[in-house]
Order: sequence, then structure tokens, then C-alpha cells
Amino acid sequence: MRRLVLIVVWVGALLWLFPIVGAFVTSLRTQADISANGFWSVPREVSFANYAAAWKRGRVNRYLANSFIITIPSIVGMLVLSSMSAYALIRFRFRLNRALYFLFVAGMLLPFQVLMLPVFRLSNQLGLYNTHLALILFHTAFQIGFCTFVLRNFMRTIPVSLFESAVIDGAGEWTIYRRIGLPLILPAFAALATLEFTWVFNDYLWALVLLSSDRLKPVTAGLSTLMGQFVNDWPLIVSGSLLAAVPTLIVFFALQRYFIEGLTMGATKG
Amino acid sequence: MRRIVFASIATLVAVTLAWGAAQSGVLRYNSYMMDPVPRELDAKIVALFMERYPDIRVEHSSVAHEDFKQAIRTYLVASPPPDVLTWFAGERMRFFTRTGLIANITNVWQGSDWEDVYPVGFQSMSQDAGAYYFVPQSYYWWAVYYRTDIYDEVGLEVPETWDAFLDNCRALDAAGYIPVAIGSRYGWPAAGWFDYLNMRVNGPEFHIRLLDGLESYESEEVRNTFAHWKQAMDAGCFIDNPASYDWQDAAEFMIQGEAAMYLMGQFILDVFPADARDSVDFFRFPIIDPDLPVGEDAPTDGYFVSANAANMENAKLFIEFLGSREVNEMWAREAGRLVPRTDLDPNIYPPATRKGLEEILRRADYVAQFYDRDTPEELAGRGMDAFVEFMANPGALDRILADLQREAERVFAARQ
Amino acid sequence: MRHRPLAPLSFLLLPLGLYAVWVIYPTLATMALAFTDWDGISPRQAWVGLANFERLFNDRVFWLSLGNNLRWVLVFITIPTSLGLALALALNRNVRFDRFLKIAYYLPMVLAFVVIALMWAWIYHPRQGLINSTLFHLYGLAQSLGFDVNPAAARRIGWLGDPNLAMGSIIAAATWQHVGYVMILYLAGLKTVNTELLDAGQVDGASPWQLFRYVTFPQLAPVTTIVLVITVIQSLRAFDLVYVMTRGGPFNSSNVLANFMYIEAFLNYNMGYAAAIAVVLFLISIGFIAIYLYRVVQQEER
Repeated sequence: MRRLVLIVVWVGALLWLFPIVGAFVTSLRTQADISANGFWSVPREVSFANYAAAWKRGRVNRYLANSFIITIPSIVGMLVLSSMSAYALIRFRFRLNRALYFLFVAGMLLPFQVLMLPVFRLSNQLGLYNTHLALILFHTAFQIGFCTFVLRNFMRTIPVSLFESAVIDGAGEWTIYRRIGLPLILPAFAALATLEFTWVFNDYLWALVLLSSDRLKPVTAGLSTLMGQFVNDWPLIVSGSLLAAVPTLIVFFALQRYFIEGLTMGATKG
Repeated sequence: MRRIVFASIATLVAVTLAWGAAQSGVLRYNSYMMDPVPRELDAKIVALFMERYPDIRVEHSSVAHEDFKQAIRTYLVASPPPDVLTWFAGERMRFFTRTGLIANITNVWQGSDWEDVYPVGFQSMSQDAGAYYFVPQSYYWWAVYYRTDIYDEVGLEVPETWDAFLDNCRALDAAGYIPVAIGSRYGWPAAGWFDYLNMRVNGPEFHIRLLDGLESYESEEVRNTFAHWKQAMDAGCFIDNPASYDWQDAAEFMIQGEAAMYLMGQFILDVFPADARDSVDFFRFPIIDPDLPVGEDAPTDGYFVSANAANMENAKLFIEFLGSREVNEMWAREAGRLVPRTDLDPNIYPPATRKGLEEILRRADYVAQFYDRDTPEELAGRGMDAFVEFMANPGALDRILADLQREAERVFAARQ
Repeated sequence: MRHRPLAPLSFLLLPLGLYAVWVIYPTLATMALAFTDWDGISPRQAWVGLANFERLFNDRVFWLSLGNNLRWVLVFITIPTSLGLALALALNRNVRFDRFLKIAYYLPMVLAFVVIALMWAWIYHPRQGLINSTLFHLYGLAQSLGFDVNPAAARRIGWLGDPNLAMGSIIAAATWQHVGYVMILYLAGLKTVNTELLDAGQVDGASPWQLFRYVTFPQLAPVTTIVLVITVIQSLRAFDLVYVMTRGGPFNSSNVLANFMYIEAFLNYNMGYAAAIAVVLFLISIGFIAIYLYRVVQQEER
């Protein structure tokens, strides 16, 4: 019985990988070749030409740069700000403490559609429409909900005595936050940062809503321009998509442990 | 800590403001020309302009056609909006002039004496209430493109009448070819079929009245149009599952020699590899009722300047350049497009274009802009859904027409 | 914990301020917007009362989209969840190459939805796609074995173009991505299961199924709640896949509320109408958000 289960799991795993593998194989062939001969044929030529084309002509190089420009500041912003709000929630007793906590939790489950139109209008009113800053501000703000939730629960595991001893030494709250709080939650930062990197990097909807210039687009929105440009050149489109996936794949493989920790921290603990 | 935070914010704000200020010397031009040939020519024209005016830097963004159609409103309400944009003439343009988003360029028209070289039809499609807002750049015809080699092989003649066309379909089907390719994923190729069938069956005047909300989609005339469409479907004319394909995907069937015909705009040739173009020719959509005037679709593309353009002076300079004889000649010679100006040597057009001019446009009694440009945009979306659905599900026609008519009534009522 | 009323303010000012401006205010503003006829361009917007909702409930496209969302939710809470659980159970022991196996299943999670959409759009392509190409050869094989099948028919199947297949095809791609997520959550949850009870049960002669049903699964209840809430929320929020693969077509057979809303907002510029759709989405989600909050409250009590 165990054998059977294992076989099924293995077959499943191979099936699960097949789309990605198949896509990669296709990306190495030419459109004319595939259109005439289909997928299951010996390729007439194999090359990375599609990748070069997607990178340069398809401007994936610029789109990837934009993705990083948007993602990195967002992550820094949300981690710093969430650590502040989480610190406030665990260090101080005040009437709205519980309510604020629930507010942050509820925010992470909101359907984005309920924010879309006013955020669009707001960014126009603030003159931020079609800027990277708009996206950075939005992502930072939106993810504060999830990050505060996670960090607050993580911080709760820190013994109060650690904080209190600093108080006795005469330290102010900001000093305590900086010297004691932050260093202790660094492990949580790693996990959160990895997870958030994937989420913000992979965002598509907000890039569509808040950007109109092609040269500012992150790689997700840029891919749809790519698709419009090389309409039925599927090998090229697929290679562009795989290129777009490379940064998140690298982060994932290098920091797998943190990624999974981040996911499970957000879901099961607390 | 606090100081760091505040300092960072201040820096961010300062940088953003400085960056915004630096942008004002740049002319922003957004274009939807993504197919290879027009895109290259577009870039070439921009480069030429920058050569002539070395002080002006043009920031040229090309956006996929479908995305551009959606994004344009967002562009126009941005602050600042792009300075010059490509767009469609007629109803689609008037939508934005009504909301004050397009700049009045009457002084450009008058300054360059364009009324002398642009025919009256093009003047009226560039105007709203007597003022000019638009510069037409090129127009193209729609026709049934076909593979001459497949026709020769099956022994077919170019059909002049509807019955001949249906016979050709049956013959091609029997010979194992796909008679007509169509890729209706984005809807508008199906609208092309509706336009032509409706104009051939009921005449162009009825067609325009329908699109203006003065006739009903549930009328006998429209039902007759769909009855003819059904005849074509029953004769096995169309490819299976047309909605699975983009229009270019469907053209692939024709390129590979599996499909024989495609009702499409003249730009279909842009996606054919150069060597395949020799075996492609076109004919006018067959006549159904010989007593009716002949209507053709010849949508016109062009340019306009945003009303809130940051760089108004340079934008007007650019648009003057775009409407010049020199640029018109480039479009005629290098892209084979028909251009509106009358002061060009007609021999400048390649033979295929001259054929389009003679056979299709000169023989037309009326020229329409195409379904989704002649009727309000919102309604056009529903209409195109209806056409695609009809092709998949002809039995549901009554329900489809009733829904469409109700939507039409709502849209036209809201405009009063 | 210290009781100092003003100190928290300095810490909360920026994060809460940002959150209020970009999350709280927009949520409330959407509710208000749903009662206007704003078109996204004009600065003026007129109050129209319930007109948008009236129009919504009479709009066929709305009901089609809602139906598709429900279909999505139903599929999602049954298939990827049980598959994920089964995988977690199977891979919880020391299996050889378990790292590789686990990665195979949750690798799709790392990919952007747009990437998944484009990959699967290729897979589903009627002519060049992986599936139809494979079927073409399989049909050919069957034909040579004497069966009456036409290989060319394999190229006519429109996974994304046939109104009966489009929605299912999109949901299949979404499931491919979601199974790994569920698996990870359950794997983490399984670590918290009390093995003593399991050992005791085994000693008593209970079958694996009984052990699962009466010992393991009940202990996984907290994780199951999370999984269900996240799964439902994900399926209601789904936009990227539909927008990129079919844009809701053909003729709305694969439309979902999120896609419908985006098109009404940014293509037809009926922002008031689109806001009404968003409100409906919100109301549907709110039940599940409430369940999650309830669990969180329960956790707090401990």
C-alpha cells in the first residue's frame, strides 16, 4: 500500500513539474518550428535566442529592474513600519490595542477589488499616478496588516524581563525598540522578507492600475505588453515568462527555509 | 530613529518633486502601433522629428493595441497626461472631446492649410462642433483576403455574390480546407462579419442608424442579417472554436496553408512572412442585395493632443509634423497604407494598395468606421460578446438579441 | 506591559497613518462610490442611490460571474485541499528524496500568476500547446491501432476558447498552483500532532484510516480552518489568471467578479458600477474574514 502511494506521489510530482519543464523546452525552439511540427518533435535547432530577444527587444531587462525598484523599498518600508506597530501593540496597554490588532488582521484578507478605485483616485489626487512611489507606498501600506500580525505574535514570545531590565537602566522606549526589540525579531524579518519579496514582486493588478507608462512597468505587467507585442510567438512569450520568474526562483531556492517559515508563521501560529 | 524616518521621507519627497520638474522638457508620445511594420515606421518618424528639432526629446511609448484601448482614459486623466497619442477618428474621438480631454488644434489645421489637402470626409471625422481636434494619419480597407494557390488548386473563382461565396465554402470544406479563418478572442473580428453582413443585407444607412441607437437589435432586419450569418455557418464556412484564437493565431492557419480566406483589415499582410505574401490576394465582400448602396469599413487612425498636455507648444509642433506631406508619403510608401492627403502622387502606392483604392474604396457608396468605433464603446463590448456567442450558440439568438437591445437602450438613454 | 497613553502614538503614527490612508479609507470610499455614477474622468459624481445595485442584479454578466466564482470556490475547497492534505500525510514520513518531491509540488507557488497564466495559455493553445500536441499524437496512435479517431480533431479542442471548457481550464491552472500551498500548511500542522495518541491508537489495533479520522484530522482542525479561509479568499480574489488567459471570455463564460469589476472600471469607466461589484465581493468575503477573526480572538483568549 505504501508502495502504491509513493508511486502515485512520484508520478504526480513529475506531472506537476511537467508544465515548467515543457515550457522551458519550448522556449529553446523557434516559433516556425513549433507551429509546423508541434511540441513532440525533434527540434531543428535549439538556442537561447528567444531569451535574448525577450531580454532586449521585449525589454524584460528594464521590466525586471523596475520590479526590483518597486519591491526592495517596499519590503524595507513594511518591515520597519510593521515592527514599529507590532512593538506598540505588545509593549503598551491602551484601550484600542485589541481593536487595532484585529484591524490589521482583517486587512490582510480583504479582496483587493475593494481598494482599487479609491486608491486609483487617491494616487491621481496626490500626483503620484504613474510613479513607482505610488506602488511602493501602496504595497508598504497594504502589507503592514499581514506583517504586523506576524511580528506582533512573534514579539510576544520575547520575555518581558528583557525589556524591563532596559527600562531599569533608564532607556527610553525608542532605544529599547532599537537595541532589544529589533535584534530579537531579525529571524522573523528574514522569513517575512522572503515571503513578501515573492508577493510584491509577483504583483500584477496594482501595476496595471497605478502605472500607464510602459517604461515604468514591473515584469508582471511588462509580460502582458510582451504578449501584445509578440502575439503568436509562444516560444518567445514563454521564455519571457520564465525570465520573469528567475528572481523569485532564486530567492526561493536560496532561502527556502525562510519562505516556508514565513508562510506557516502567518497561518498556524498566533 | 524618528529623525532617520523623517529625514528619509523628506528626501523621498524632494527627489520626487525634482524628478517631476525635470520631466517637463520632454514630449511624451504614446502609440498603439505594435505590429512589426508600423512600429518600425513609427520609431523612424520619431527619430526624424528629433533630428529636425534637436532641442526636443520625444519619449515614445508603444503599448499593445488592446491594452492601449483600455488604458487611454487612465492616460488622459493622469497629471500630466501624455502629450500626443494615437487614436481613432469619429465617435471614439468625440467621446473625449465631449469630456474636454482633447486639445483644440484648429490653429494647426488652419496654419498649415490642411483644409486644402484633406478631403471633406476626413475633415468631418476630425471635428467636433466645428473645431478640429484630430489629425488623420491613415486608413485601410477591409476585404476578404484569400490564398490564390488554394483557390487555384480547388478550381475556384472569386465570388461576386453571396451564393457563389457559399458554394466556394462548401467546395473548400469538401477538399479538406478550412474555408474561412477567424480569431474572435477579442471580439472585433466577429464584429467585422456583422458589419459587412448587416450593410450588405440592410444597407449602410440602416447599419449606421442601428449603431446610433435609432433602430432595434430585435428588428426583422437584424434578424435577417443573422439568418444570413447562419447560412454561412451551415455551409461549413468557419473554423471551429474561433474564440480560442487571437486574430493573429487564426491567421497562422492561413499562413500554414490550412485555411483559405479571412475577412480582415489590410494589415493582415503585416503578419505574413514576406515570401508568403505573394500567394495572398483579396476581394470585396460579396454583394447580397444588388439594389442596395455598397458600404465598406475603412477605419481611420490618427493623432491628437491631450487638453492638459504639459508640453503644448512642442506637442502641436509634433502633430503638425505628423500631418505633413512628408510623413504621409512615408506611410504610403513604406507601410503601404492609404493616407488622407490628396497632394501625393498616386503611383507612390504599391500595387496592392492601388487595388484596394480602386476596387474597394472607389466603388463604395458609404464608408463606415467599424463597429466598435461607430457605436459607443461600452455597448460595442456587449455587442461583440453577442456576436461571438452567436457563432458558438446560434440557437440562443432571441435571448442574445434581447439582452443586447436592453443594454443598447440603457446606454443611449444615459447619453441624453 | 506599560500603561502610557501617549507613547504608543509615536510608534503607531507612521504605520497606522499609512494603513489608514491606503487601506481603511479606500475600503470605506468604495462603499460610498457604489452609490454614485462616477466615470473616472469627471470631477463630479452624482448620487444615484441603489441604481447601480439594481442594474447589477439585472445584469446577466453579474450572475454568470458570480456563478463562476462559486464554482471556483467549490472546486477549490474540495480538490486542492484534499490533495494537499493527502500529499502532506504521504510526505510527512521520511521518504527518500522527499525534499525534491515537496519542491515539485510547491514550486508553482513562487511563480507570479501572470507567469502561470502565460505558461498555461501556451499549454492550452489549440495548435501549439502541450495538451493538444500530446492528444494529436495519442489520437494518431489510436488511429493506427484501428480506432476511428481523427487526429486533426485534437487540434480543434479549444481549452480556453470553448465556453464549456474555459472556466474549468483556468481553475485547473489555479489548482496546480494552490495544492503546494495547502501541502505546506498541513505539513507544518502535522508536526504539532500528538504522536503519543497515534501510538496508543496503533497499539489498540486501529486502522490507518481510523487513526487519521479520529486522531490526526481532529487535531488538524486549526490548520483546516486556516486552509479553508485562505482558499476561499484566494478564489474570490482571483483576477490575474482570468484577465490574462481569457479576459472573461468567450462571451463571459469564464468571467469572475474580480475580472468583471476591472473591465467595468477601466474599460467601460463605470466606476460607480464597478464599486458596486466590489461591495458585493466584500460582502461575500466578510463572512470568511469574520470566521478567521473569530479564530484569532479564540487564540487570544488562551
